[in-house]
Amino acid sequence: MAEKRTIVIDPVTRIEGHAKITLHLDEQGEVSDARFHVTQFRGFEKLCEGRPFTEMPSLMARICGICPVSHLVASAKACDALLAVRIPPAARKLRRMFNMAQIVQSHALSVFHLSSPDLLLGMDADPAKSNLWGVFERDPQLARDGIRLRQFGQQIIERLGGKRIHPAWVVPGGVSAPLSLEDRDAILATVPEALAIAVRTLAWFKKTASGFREEITSFGNFPSLFMGTVKEDGCITFYGGQIRFGDASGNIVADGLDATRYFDYLGEKAEPWSYLKSAYYKPKGYPDGMYRVGPLARLNVVDRCGTERADQELAEFKELQRGAVLSSFHYHQARLIEILCCIEALEQLLNDSEILSKHVRAEAKPNALEGVGASEAPRGTLFHHYKIDENGLVRWANLIIATGQNNLAMNRSILQVAKHFVRGNELLPGMLNRVEAVIRTYDPCLSCSTHALGQMALRIQLMDTEGKVAAEVARP
Amino acid sequence: MTAQRILILAYGNPLRCDDGLAWRAAEELSHLDLPNGVEIITRHQLTPELALPVSQAGTVLFIDAAQHGVPGEIRSGPVKPQRSSSAFTHEFSAGTILSLAKELYSACPNAFAISLCGECFDHGETLSPKVEERMPQLVDQVRELIQAANTSPLPL
Repeated sequence: MAEKRTIVIDPVTRIEGHAKITLHLDEQGEVSDARFHVTQFRGFEKLCEGRPFTEMPSLMARICGICPVSHLVASAKACDALLAVRIPPAARKLRRMFNMAQIVQSHALSVFHLSSPDLLLGMDADPAKSNLWGVFERDPQLARDGIRLRQFGQQIIERLGGKRIHPAWVVPGGVSAPLSLEDRDAILATVPEALAIAVRTLAWFKKTASGFREEITSFGNFPSLFMGTVKEDGCITFYGGQIRFGDASGNIVADGLDATRYFDYLGEKAEPWSYLKSAYYKPKGYPDGMYRVGPLARLNVVDRCGTERADQELAEFKELQRGAVLSSFHYHQARLIEILCCIEALEQLLNDSEILSKHVRAEAKPNALEGVGASEAPRGTLFHHYKIDENGLVRWANLIIATGQNNLAMNRSILQVAKHFVRGNELLPGMLNRVEAVIRTYDPCLSCSTHALGQMALRIQLMDTEGKVAAEVARP
Repeated sequence: MTAQRILILAYGNPLRCDDGLAWRAAEELSHLDLPNGVEIITRHQLTPELALPVSQAGTVLFIDAAQHGVPGEIRSGPVKPQRSSSAFTHEFSAGTILSLAKELYSACPNAFAISLCGECFDHGETLSPKVEERMPQLVDQVRELIQAANTSPLPL
């Protein structure tokens, strides 16, 4: 009698953080189950207990080396709620700029550095060449564009925040310094080139995607809910607004939800095989309340982007599938549209007469003992929730991060991909690369500030029921 | 004679004691009266984006902490373009960045690496006494390299 076996992909490569995937095979060697395990543990909610709430933005920015700005913004908004202040309009606009610059550079990292080897060289490419070097060789212009676009976002962050990683410029009550005329003009001068790269890359991607029809139909292509933040008029927003849920048919199932009351409609469930909790939409329960967040979800729930070119792209995007765009492969295109949208919106903000205002911070002492801050991070909606005591010390904190909200969908996606492509009797690198590639579409951020020591080799093993290695594929 | 563009790339983690010594060196260098055309960049690690400013420089000086060797020892030498054997962007070396600059921008500046061997790489923002003691020599050597680059090609 044939044995049940397990394939382990450990670590998952070209993602931000550390994770592994296990594929469970039945007696016939077909995939019966799949799990995405997040193997690192951070514990930020506990380690901030007892610290002054004013430290939270800077402390929370340390969660991540890729998207520290997102945590800064959500954390500062939670602190604004503790101060019970309304921050100055210029500060709000500057924070929006900061967050959008972050989205541009983070999305560029995902598309150009992490997923472009799959897209440019193909899913079945030699694993030894399916990396950045392979991209540099095949399409140096694409590589240069990726470098330049990341630099565009990073330089805005550096000009505003003083440094590009872990800047502490966003503070409770606003921002710590206004934007100078010199910096405004310097940033504006870089916009045309960034815009041209975004337009060029979108055109390249749409042409390239036509060669991935099988992946489009099998990469997380299933019904789910989608969640994102929208303005009152249904326009996309990355800074603040109301929460909207859409379904697979493209219908709005919940709208105008207060982001600071996330606990009324979002639940979290821990599973013993992962440190990453799974969020779900409470009215539908666990796990039926599976929903997706991030670029695909945002573009599914918004009515428009509010900028000319991005709105043209959004209209085209919404025609990709009937109802909502379900395939997670389309996260890539959504990401590129958001880059375009952010660059256009940044240009609008830079030309706003109020952006150079010197009044950028509201001063106050704590006026509330509980505060929630929410914003749209590159990977989806981000919530920071703090409770403090009378002395301003944090007594309790809860963070709901985008990747956790995509956890149920990521697990379902790898099962769908594995069932479609993996045949346990003959392991080929391309099969397993597709299992990793579907995870990359979500661009999970498991913790960019944690780095492994030494070389991380990819090793996939087939284990028999006694735990012995039946087959192995090693990646250099 | 017009001063050439010199890029000083100081990298390491300033939250891991001696690993951040390059940041201190960069700070001290920024207070000196350096020739026009010298740019100082500090980074936690080397990433592909650095290929662009590297490609635009005539000379690049990489400053880093060394983990293996005698604490306080200063080592220096030329850097040549070298492709990384790793597929991971977290492991880019000075040679890899030069190689990237050459392949993507057809530019290969003179490059020199200078390192100071650290003693303590624990959590913290202070340098070990041995590294503190040798920091002036490190800064002096970098300054000499800058002067040399501006008068004649570095001995690569």
